[in-house]
Amino acid sequence: MSEPVIKVENLNKTFFANQSSSIRNTLLRGMVKKNVSKKQILALENINFEVHKGEFFGIIGRNGSGKSTLLNILMGSIRADKGSQIISSGKMIRLALGMGFDPNLSARDNIYINGSILGLTFKEIGFLFDEIIDFAELNDFVDVAVKNFSSGMMSKLKFSIAIHAKADIFLMDEFFGGVGDVSFKKKSTEVFQNTFLDGRTILHVNHNLKLIEQHCTRVLVLDKGKQLFCGDVMDGIELYKNLYAKDVSKKLSKPAQPTK
Amino acid sequence: MSIINTILNPVVELLPENNRLERIWKLAQVDFKKRYYNDKLGLLWALLNPASKIAIYYFVFSILMEDRRIENFALFLFAGLLLWMAFSECTNKAMGLIKSKKYLIENIQFNQIDLFISATISVFLGLGFNLIAYFFICLIMGLSLTWNVLYLVVILFNVFIICLGASLILATIGIYIKDIKHLWAIGLIAGFWTSGIFFEGELILEKFPAFVFINPFLGIIMNMRSISMYEQAPDFNILVINMIFGIVTFIVGIFVYKKFSHKAIELL
Repeated sequence: MSEPVIKVENLNKTFFANQSSSIRNTLLRGMVKKNVSKKQILALENINFEVHKGEFFGIIGRNGSGKSTLLNILMGSIRADKGSQIISSGKMIRLALGMGFDPNLSARDNIYINGSILGLTFKEIGFLFDEIIDFAELNDFVDVAVKNFSSGMMSKLKFSIAIHAKADIFLMDEFFGGVGDVSFKKKSTEVFQNTFLDGRTILHVNHNLKLIEQHCTRVLVLDKGKQLFCGDVMDGIELYKNLYAKDVSKKLSKPAQPTK
Repeated sequence: MSIINTILNPVVELLPENNRLERIWKLAQVDFKKRYYNDKLGLLWALLNPASKIAIYYFVFSILMEDRRIENFALFLFAGLLLWMAFSECTNKAMGLIKSKKYLIENIQFNQIDLFISATISVFLGLGFNLIAYFFICLIMGLSLTWNVLYLVVILFNVFIICLGASLILATIGIYIKDIKHLWAIGLIAGFWTSGIFFEGELILEKFPAFVFINPFLGIIMNMRSISMYEQAPDFNILVINMIFGIVTFIVGIFVYKKFSHKAIELL
């Protein structure tokens, strides 16, 4: 097997709640010298995994299981606790449909900014420009401010830019083709699955188990910040489904307390 | 709108084909453009605004108050104001910058200092238009410009690194202490009145010579007036002091930001 492009060992992340950050509180804390009750939340605990080049790696877990925190740490926008080891080689980009468009700017400007963010030079964007606009079916709206776009037009445009992203590793946050109306959904899913996914290293967070099952080679299952499983897709999905089943049965076995 | 594009776009051609430089430039350009986006007159506002300011100062101080102690008081005032405004705009913007550019920081690995560079460049584009208006009116008022005006480049560079350094320091403090904004507002007022904008900086220097080390704008504004209004070379001692102040601010800014900014997104 090839070299791992991402290697995570013993990753921990603690958040401190009640971290007050006003001048008054900072001064007070200094004067009283008492630790104002710092509530610790262990968002991720002892996570270990490797992702290899060209692999399609899935991350699943329920809401609040730490998926987004993990992606933030990999991106470097949040720092993990001391002692955690994260080695990654190559440029990483996070693709999410919530990615930034400035509503006051035209489609043209937004394409240039986002394209640049996604690693393209202006020259390359110039070459791709017509293609992006054509694909997004927005030929008549190139110089219209994006705030006048419908949400469908917006997501079409975002998708059309995002598939041109240039990076070594892609972190996909609930991002997977299929946006817009029926015809565009079909088109985008096709392009995405046939050309984009080909040979790229991808970390994919999604709740859609069908997609995970279809594309991923391995999967990481998180629950409440803990790593439950890392390995074969089918086993992981099975485990994930069981989590829900367990929870549901727990709720069912505990009848509501009768109120007196 | 389109005027801004035609003026600013060709600059890209001059840059080497480099993703990072292009991004810095584009963010600055767009930031600047947004201010004049929906306006009919667009870019003209960038020139009308300073010109009308000078007209108002002229009316109030030279006609209404008949203040003759300082010649060309309107220009005297504006020479100081335009540099000070750039500084105050930069630093105020810097404190909200991480929040407003969160979508970039979260989605791509890049040097966050780039954001501050482009924000400062965008303010300096505005300053550029102010300077055009300023020099234009200087000529109308019958002042003659000498080669000393070329020192403007040095002064602008000095202001730029001070702005950038101060932005980085304030943004870093702002991550941990959210109400730094209010404290800085007071600091800005103190800075304003110790920069010799409304009066001659020499007045402060006579009583408190040490101020030249504390507030760089005191010296910068004096030099700005020397080169643009009085056909003089700048005071080189002050110039060197200011430049050292700028370089130190810049280095401290970069160091502080690199060291302490990693909690930015978490504490937002």
